[in-house]
Amino acid sequence: MADLAIGSAAQNKSAIDKAWGRIVGLSKRSPTSVIGFGIILFFGFLALFAPLVMPYDPVQANPDLILQGPSAAHWFGTDGNGMDVLSRVIYGSRFAFGIAIPVVIVALALGVPIGLYAGYKGGNIDEIIMRVVDAFRVFPSIILALAVVAAAGPSLLNVVLVIGILDAPIFVRVVRAEVLALRSSNFVEAGVIVGNPTRRILFVHLLPNAISGAMAQTAVRGAWAVRISATLAFLGIGIQPPTPEWGAMIRQGAEFMVNGQWWVGIFPGVALILMVLGLNMFGDGLQDLLDPKRRSAGK
Amino acid sequence: MTLRAMLMRRLVLALPLLLGILFFTFMLVRLGGQDPVGLLAGPTATTEEIEIIRNELGLDKPLFTQFAIYIENVFQGDIGRSWISNRSVLHDILERIPITLELLLWGVAIGALIGVPIGLRAAFRHDKLFDHISRSVSLLGFSIPTYFLGLLLLFVFFFLLGWAPPGLGRISLLISPPPTITGSYLIDSLLTGNFDAAGSAFSQLVLPVISVAIISAAPIVKHTRAIALEVIGSDFVRFARASGLPTERVRRIVLKNSSTPVTTFIGTELTGLVGSVSLIEYVFAWGGVGQYGLNAIIRGDFAAVQGYVLFLALFSLLVFIIVDLLVLVLEPRAGAE
Repeated sequence: MADLAIGSAAQNKSAIDKAWGRIVGLSKRSPTSVIGFGIILFFGFLALFAPLVMPYDPVQANPDLILQGPSAAHWFGTDGNGMDVLSRVIYGSRFAFGIAIPVVIVALALGVPIGLYAGYKGGNIDEIIMRVVDAFRVFPSIILALAVVAAAGPSLLNVVLVIGILDAPIFVRVVRAEVLALRSSNFVEAGVIVGNPTRRILFVHLLPNAISGAMAQTAVRGAWAVRISATLAFLGIGIQPPTPEWGAMIRQGAEFMVNGQWWVGIFPGVALILMVLGLNMFGDGLQDLLDPKRRSAGK
Repeated sequence: MTLRAMLMRRLVLALPLLLGILFFTFMLVRLGGQDPVGLLAGPTATTEEIEIIRNELGLDKPLFTQFAIYIENVFQGDIGRSWISNRSVLHDILERIPITLELLLWGVAIGALIGVPIGLRAAFRHDKLFDHISRSVSLLGFSIPTYFLGLLLLFVFFFLLGWAPPGLGRISLLISPPPTITGSYLIDSLLTGNFDAAGSAFSQLVLPVISVAIISAAPIVKHTRAIALEVIGSDFVRFARASGLPTERVRRIVLKNSSTPVTTFIGTELTGLVGSVSLIEYVFAWGGVGQYGLNAIIRGDFAAVQGYVLFLALFSLLVFIIVDLLVLVLEPRAGAE
């Protein structure tokens, strides 16, 4: 037992070294993705430890402190209810992650199996699936999401489901393309000959080889989810002010901005841009690293 | 194949897609599991109106029959009545199309004028400083929420600097709009020689158009760069280089061979941009189809939402067909198939 533990500890150490080596290598090859990852980590930290980091209660109205500019006590000023903007911006990161992560999971859970199946089966099934997937392209995705969420009822669950479902076609397309290339390779044919059921071929043999392109898309899709959910809140669909969500805060700030009280809307807007930018930068690097097409095109 | 035959073929091919689009807009009001009549009639409807709509939609009949009724109505130009404006949705939307197009087309034209040269230069200077900077800037352009960009521009150029008028529509409230000829205030007032109106319309246009230009330029830079890089890496360009042609000549070859895919991309980008333009319309109270549609979504005017989504899909379909034909004109080879 003890030997085993020591062995695995040593293994762990070398694994850490390896991982560190990889990070260093990555930061040299793609500094943007490392910066992006840093931004994501920063907001992740804020989201996780929000109660500890927030200087005030984010929804504590304070009639004596309405629309105060940034000061030592309130770094980002106070909003129309006298709530502390900094605390609200920090709390807002929870909504960003709380929506982006489940959205990407829903999109992956739907898109990857369909893409695997369509690519592997080919023929009519593939044709029909791809026609449906392509048909979604005629709708501008942002309006489609807004309209469907509004029709389905703007609960947080619906927001996540709708954006996730609308994002699934992207994963279908990416996974299908990779499966098409792999379908007739030796290891798949060998798997079939040995008598593996289709399910096993798809998820054990093909999935690990076809997933990298889909993984490369996750960060960018996460950025998209953050944007759409904030847009919904900005339009006043679903999350309503004074909930400390960035889009809702920008909505609140919009009316003060033209009177000069810029801090109410600008700070949550900058937080939103940073978060989306971080995800996009990280995603851009991921695509360079994982997407076989871009990898070869880059060289 | 002649252009006309090609056009007919594209139109026929578009039919199943059109059916899919109609099915989707049909299902839209039935998604939430609520009574579609309640959604379509709106909160102000009387009992009789609700009964009329219920009859029109045939809601006691099976779903398939309802869909058939819906299609029949759409082809007769009846896509419902908005309870906010209490007018036919078709009428509301048709009237606003030129207003949206004015913003969209100016914005994309300027976005392309900025984006294409930057993308090309980034490709020619691949992995140099210019490439990295333009890539970062376009990432930033990808990440700014459309509406926030509009608000930011208003704050800086209206409130801080006072250069731009407030974002309250297409022409100053103090100036009477020109008679409708094309639907674009700027062009109409120039046509009628009303230069006060033209000046006002122009100054109202500037900020929204800049917003659209910025939003559209980011993807244009990215794709132009990618397309040009692919052309630069192709055999015929390498051959041209190897033959010792001067850089200028090589660049001209790259330019010529990139033009078709770049045009195609800008065309297809229009389809997604109509969505972003709606948000810009909303911020600047522009009053086009986009603002109409967003207001309908916000206030739950579902007959109008249906019409709006249908309009967007048809617009995209039309753009795809036009782009296809444009490619044929630019590059007759593609028609040989």
